[in-house]
Amino acid sequence: MTKQHITSNKNIGFGSRFRSLAALALVGALALSACGSDDEATDDTVAEEVTTDVASDVCPSQEIVDAAVAEAKVNLIALPDNWANYKGILASFREKHPEIENPVANPDASSADELVAVETLAGQETQPDALDVSPAIAQEVDSKDLWEPYKPCTWDEIPDFLKDADGKWVAAYYGIMAIGTNTTVVKTAPESFADLAKPEYKGLVSLNGDPREAGSAFNAVVAASLANGGSFDDIMPGIQYFADLKASGNLAGTDVTEASVIAGETPIWLDWTYNYPGLAPKLVENGITWAIRVPTDGVHGGYYAQGVVKGGPNNNAAKLWIEHIVSDEGALGYLEGGAIPARFEALVAAGKVSEEAKANLPAPELIAQIKFPTQDQIAKMKEALATNWGPMVADK
Amino acid sequence: MRLGRFIAWLVVGVVALFYVVPMIAMTRFAFQRIPVIKLSLGNVFDKWTVAPLFESFTESEFRSSATLSLMLAVATALLTLVLLVPTMAIAHLRSPRMRRLIELSATLPFVVPAIALVVGFAGTFRETLPILIRSSFGLVPLYVVTALPFTHRTIENGLAALDLRTLVNASRSLGASWTRTMIFVIAPNIRASIATASFLAFTVVLGEFTIASLLLKNTLPLYLAYAQGRNPQGAFAVGIVLIIVSTIFVALSNRLGKVVRA
Amino acid sequence: MASSLGQRTRHLAFLPYAVFLFIFLIWPGLYVFRQALNQSAGERNPMIEAVTGQYRSSFIFSLQLSFISSAIGLVIGSAVAIAIMQLADVRGLRNILVGYSSVAANMGGIPLAFAFLAAFGMQGLATRLLKEINIDIIGWGFKISDFWGIVLVYLYFQIPLMTLVLVPALDGLRRTWAEAAQSLGATVSQYWRFIALPILTPAILGGFLLLVANAFAAYATAYALSSGGSKLVPVQIRFFLQGETITGKSNLGYALAAWMVIITAMLVAGFQVMTRRAERWRQ
Repeated sequence: MTKQHITSNKNIGFGSRFRSLAALALVGALALSACGSDDEATDDTVAEEVTTDVASDVCPSQEIVDAAVAEAKVNLIALPDNWANYKGILASFREKHPEIENPVANPDASSADELVAVETLAGQETQPDALDVSPAIAQEVDSKDLWEPYKPCTWDEIPDFLKDADGKWVAAYYGIMAIGTNTTVVKTAPESFADLAKPEYKGLVSLNGDPREAGSAFNAVVAASLANGGSFDDIMPGIQYFADLKASGNLAGTDVTEASVIAGETPIWLDWTYNYPGLAPKLVENGITWAIRVPTDGVHGGYYAQGVVKGGPNNNAAKLWIEHIVSDEGALGYLEGGAIPARFEALVAAGKVSEEAKANLPAPELIAQIKFPTQDQIAKMKEALATNWGPMVADK
Repeated sequence: MRLGRFIAWLVVGVVALFYVVPMIAMTRFAFQRIPVIKLSLGNVFDKWTVAPLFESFTESEFRSSATLSLMLAVATALLTLVLLVPTMAIAHLRSPRMRRLIELSATLPFVVPAIALVVGFAGTFRETLPILIRSSFGLVPLYVVTALPFTHRTIENGLAALDLRTLVNASRSLGASWTRTMIFVIAPNIRASIATASFLAFTVVLGEFTIASLLLKNTLPLYLAYAQGRNPQGAFAVGIVLIIVSTIFVALSNRLGKVVRA
Repeated sequence: MASSLGQRTRHLAFLPYAVFLFIFLIWPGLYVFRQALNQSAGERNPMIEAVTGQYRSSFIFSLQLSFISSAIGLVIGSAVAIAIMQLADVRGLRNILVGYSSVAANMGGIPLAFAFLAAFGMQGLATRLLKEINIDIIGWGFKISDFWGIVLVYLYFQIPLMTLVLVPALDGLRRTWAEAAQSLGATVSQYWRFIALPILTPAILGGFLLLVANAFAAYATAYALSSGGSKLVPVQIRFFLQGETITGKSNLGYALAAWMVIITAMLVAGFQVMTRRAERWRQ
């Protein structure tokens, strides 16, 4: 998935240990309205691949469910507990399908590591069955023909820009780039990219990784670009912004980790909105107050893509996993973690989103502003970044 | 030699201080729940907690990953010694050219990126010997390679300090076979090197992250790295304990195997 | 010298090591070169691009950091090793120091970087304590994430590494030689200059080489400490091979790795030449 970091911890989410009773109740209530299964006679339990009939009104088909139960496991990778509340989503999957285990290997892996694992472990029973990767890596997985197309039951309720047209992957959640401030160390929280450049924040601003490597940092540069007259076709204003920030001394060198946030070494940092709720318990325990602000001048959202690995050892269980993350339970799980689920509109319309669940989210007007760049735009921005970030920012 | 001793103590003192200060800072962070900015003489003794230690040590994942890493460490140390000591001893005795080649080959693991090692390893054995990839012990040869620069250098220095030819000649002329010579003559004389090499192999394995993470094996460093993300104070608490325990372990082992100087 | 090993047996003895290395090091290493020479259409040869422009600066920076931290580590680490021998009669001192050195030599990455941040960062414990006695290191411009801050952190594993490789060599310096020298009327400095140092030179040089190669390949610590660490070549390699942002340029990453192999090989060869000269004296 994400968090990109050299050795290990990449993002700054903490152990999200809270599971509100409301969410539990919601899950229970919604389980009744979940996709019902047909009463078809089941096949002999052989873990064969079953093709999906998209037009079928039985969803997910009993064959898939039975085959998945026979597989009894889905190998997952790179899903940290405190990233968009995966802890809760993994648990709700186990409640829905108690016979299917869902172990997570290498939770701090980057998206690229996930691809390496799929290729290295091809044919092994530990090969990952389903992935959660950045858009760029999703593209690479596609170019290596490693996605198994699968359209989950709720396909139609997922907006077009959050899924692959051929069903190779879905984007079950997305977030917005936000500024986090440790207000115990820094009294006034900055509210915009323009604020970050103020002299009072000298030496205090950090990125979550290097943009040439980390999805979060890269998207922070894109957001800065949008705030400074750039667009998805032009990331240079963003690079220039950070070059200026570094020259003025505002951009600190230290990398952002949970530890550095608690220690107060990185009092101001940029990260996805869904990475902040997980931090809360630790910050409270250490007597630290904090503030999260979506920059007023640059609103930028980003998603991660999930899909089934072609030829994986537990193909059908993987399909059920994908079903789960875009299901109501999955969506509400993401909400709890501060991410915006793909079917947010549909869920709100159906009245399934409680006020409490909305508490972790940015304001609806902000959500409405979000657009995502196309794969081409992403590719071009990355080229520009790879060529210019070093000479303009990192090496100075 | 009073000046000599004084300088020696000075050096040891300064370096020890340098070693200890960051560890103290990390320990305080791990066990005290107050940010430095709010620290004052008044609350220096407040909000200390050992809870993180107990949380970590009772997690079953911790125990299983620690056991795995320990076994891998022992296996790596053994394989390293079996592979290196005879080979290097013979190189020292017979072939300076081989000795230099070995030196070159033993420094290369530094610069072959772990990912290349893994991809090459997986590519080679995927079809032929998949058990090497499936089993966690497939990590051992890769770890031996990773530790090679350190282990080789220690044994090299130990062997170089000996008058190997005389030793071996004496032993052979007394009728000992090569194996006996190796085990009963050469090895005891490089006891310090063997011990150090083993410890280095040990600590390399207990610290190696990239290879295990790419092959999805649940070793202790992986567990700790993840714990640092999820629960940094707890993870650093465990880290500090591991550092102390490892130090004591190595110190004690050294004592047991110490060469008594006449 | 009775050659009880025939030519063939002699070479046979190296077979296990050679085979082992081939399978687990050489072959994957060749993979690096194969990928590095893999040129996509319309792009420059990755091997050439890897040493131009920003990558050339990266190599220079990496080598600077390696040599400087190793030079300082050499001096201090050797001093510690000698001190340990000097104080050999102090019970337990050697064991504790060797013990901690074994552990510290392998420290790095986030824990080490964080320990230094926790001590000397802006909100560091030592920083705070020093401020209480009116020494404001941050005000003086000290930043742990600067070049010299990174050197300081590197020393944390360079010094113990040097100590560890030198102590066994010092063990080999037999007491008898020191006593013999003394009885022949040599002074302490003469003893060191003409007997001890020449014998120790290969070990010291070898240790220095190890330190340089160790620092050259290290990246996790610098990266965790400072975005300036991203100038280092291994970090760049990781961006290409394991990063999320830059995709499809793995050939350049492998090319960088290939150059690292070449440079390291050159370093080793250089040291071997120097060592041979030193050893000639010994014979």
